[in-house]
Amino acid sequence: METVITRRDFLKVGAAAAVGGLAGLPHTGSAKAIGKSRVVLVRNKDVIAGSGSIRAEILEQMLDQAMTTLLGTPDPVSAWEQVVKPEDVVGIKSNAWYQLPTPHSLEAAIQGRLLQVGVKKEDASVDDRGVLSNPVFQRATALINTRPMRTHYWSGLGTLLKNYIMFTPRPSDYHANACENLGALWHFPQVEGKTRLNILVMLTPQFHGVGPHSFSKEYLWNYCGLILSTDPVSADATGASIIQKKRDAFFGARKPISPPLNHITAADTRFGLGNSRPEMIEVIKMGWEESILI
Amino acid sequence: MAPMSEAGPLEELQHALPEKVMTWSKAEEDQFYDSQSIFDYIDGAGEVYRAYNMQRCLSRRYVTPEGPVIILDLFEMVSSYDAFGLFTHDPDGDVLAIGQGAVYRSGWLGFWKDRFFVSLYADDDTEAAKQALFELAGKVASLIKKEGPKPQILSRLPKKGLQAASVRYFHDHPVLNRHYFISTENILRLGSWTEAVLAAYQLKEGATQILLVMYPDAEKAKEANSSFLKHYLPDADPSGMATLENKKWCGASVKGPLLAIVLEADSREIAASLLAGLIGKDK
Repeated sequence: METVITRRDFLKVGAAAAVGGLAGLPHTGSAKAIGKSRVVLVRNKDVIAGSGSIRAEILEQMLDQAMTTLLGTPDPVSAWEQVVKPEDVVGIKSNAWYQLPTPHSLEAAIQGRLLQVGVKKEDASVDDRGVLSNPVFQRATALINTRPMRTHYWSGLGTLLKNYIMFTPRPSDYHANACENLGALWHFPQVEGKTRLNILVMLTPQFHGVGPHSFSKEYLWNYCGLILSTDPVSADATGASIIQKKRDAFFGARKPISPPLNHITAADTRFGLGNSRPEMIEVIKMGWEESILI
Repeated sequence: MAPMSEAGPLEELQHALPEKVMTWSKAEEDQFYDSQSIFDYIDGAGEVYRAYNMQRCLSRRYVTPEGPVIILDLFEMVSSYDAFGLFTHDPDGDVLAIGQGAVYRSGWLGFWKDRFFVSLYADDDTEAAKQALFELAGKVASLIKKEGPKPQILSRLPKKGLQAASVRYFHDHPVLNRHYFISTENILRLGSWTEAVLAAYQLKEGATQILLVMYPDAEKAKEANSSFLKHYLPDADPSGMATLENKKWCGASVKGPLLAIVLEADSREIAASLLAGLIGKDK
């Protein structure tokens, strides 16, 4: 049996109220000793129009701001040049879930920057469920991972880590124990070491669900943010913290994300993919601060 | 062993389902999913239904020119026990008198009757859609001719102080963790072979929760108890009880195939009294 973390471990660290969530998680040590991870959170309240549609030009600005900050460059193209080279073949792993897909305008913005860096048009592709048969993904040398965050009946949250479940022909093999072994997918040959950037879409994240379709518009809110990091675990942990706070505020009491986020913890402690602990994450906040929840 | 129902097959229900509800009409052909193809329909959420021994699911969409789509999902389970269990998995909402138990919240209506769990969902929570959901739910419930029994293990729960809305019936470790996080690993050796019930109590002496698990045999129950004591209550006294870090009491006891655990009782007396009563019922 793997290292067992029990409810009592939470109680010991005085996080009784956080049981089941990620905050206050007792730690058993990372699989790899890595430094602090940088996460950029950028928000702009004008990115969502009154009609609920996304303003593509503002979304592009947000992406550019976040990229230059994340990578410490004077302009967006320089930032993207650190992420990909002109000779790279780039798969943009998106998410097509019909209720809350990755916005097309974000996919287009990423593709636009890739072309500016010199990546050939035929060497870049956006896909979700077809990644295993997509020729670009099959010969990809680089991956960019992007999806909206939402609550999920079985894994707690739909995360960047979970977004790679389409790289296995049998996703259900990774459902055990609240999808805790999703991190293993990141060590698949077609994935390992290729992910250059993770973009967690927090424009209208979903903080709760109903029924088998796990969706209700009532549980979306205009957070108007993007979270960027080269570390998927840190980006997910940061997003999870925001979702948790939104749930608590909405329901007026502690409402832990459920089931617990085993897969984020395991991605850190067992699969060595990044940092899940807040003290190991440097969050740089940009833009709109109201109700930022972090 | 849960009794098999005599309710008709899903196809019989399909033929009797209404083609129209208020201004909504049946859209394309109905879809059927089994316990594997359910992932194609609702992705990983399908695990919840598999955890309750889903056999098949019939899905029908209703559309109206100016209104949200309504999706009717009829889940056929092996037994009424699991239909009930599925209903207890997500029982938040306004309680309705439909089927053997129903709730409504945020554009979603769920109910159970016999070995069927029925979900009706409108992708926009309008007043008209809500009315249509209620009307359709009533019609579907009336098509399921008989009621089914609740799990027998529920009868082992003490009546005094029981918070009825808190009862959760399940088989698996991830489902337990959704309702009450115990541990990252399956220290209670739960699985499709176990029946479990979790319930909250409010007594005049204080509050607590009870977890009962029925194993296939006494040996497996004993092993699970040993595992629980090793990983969760290594500091238990000879009676199987310990004080938790939040000053509450936890205790476990096993008798035959039944494992009884009192979780976070406000006092040792509450935990001891409940444990004695629970195990005594198996004598």
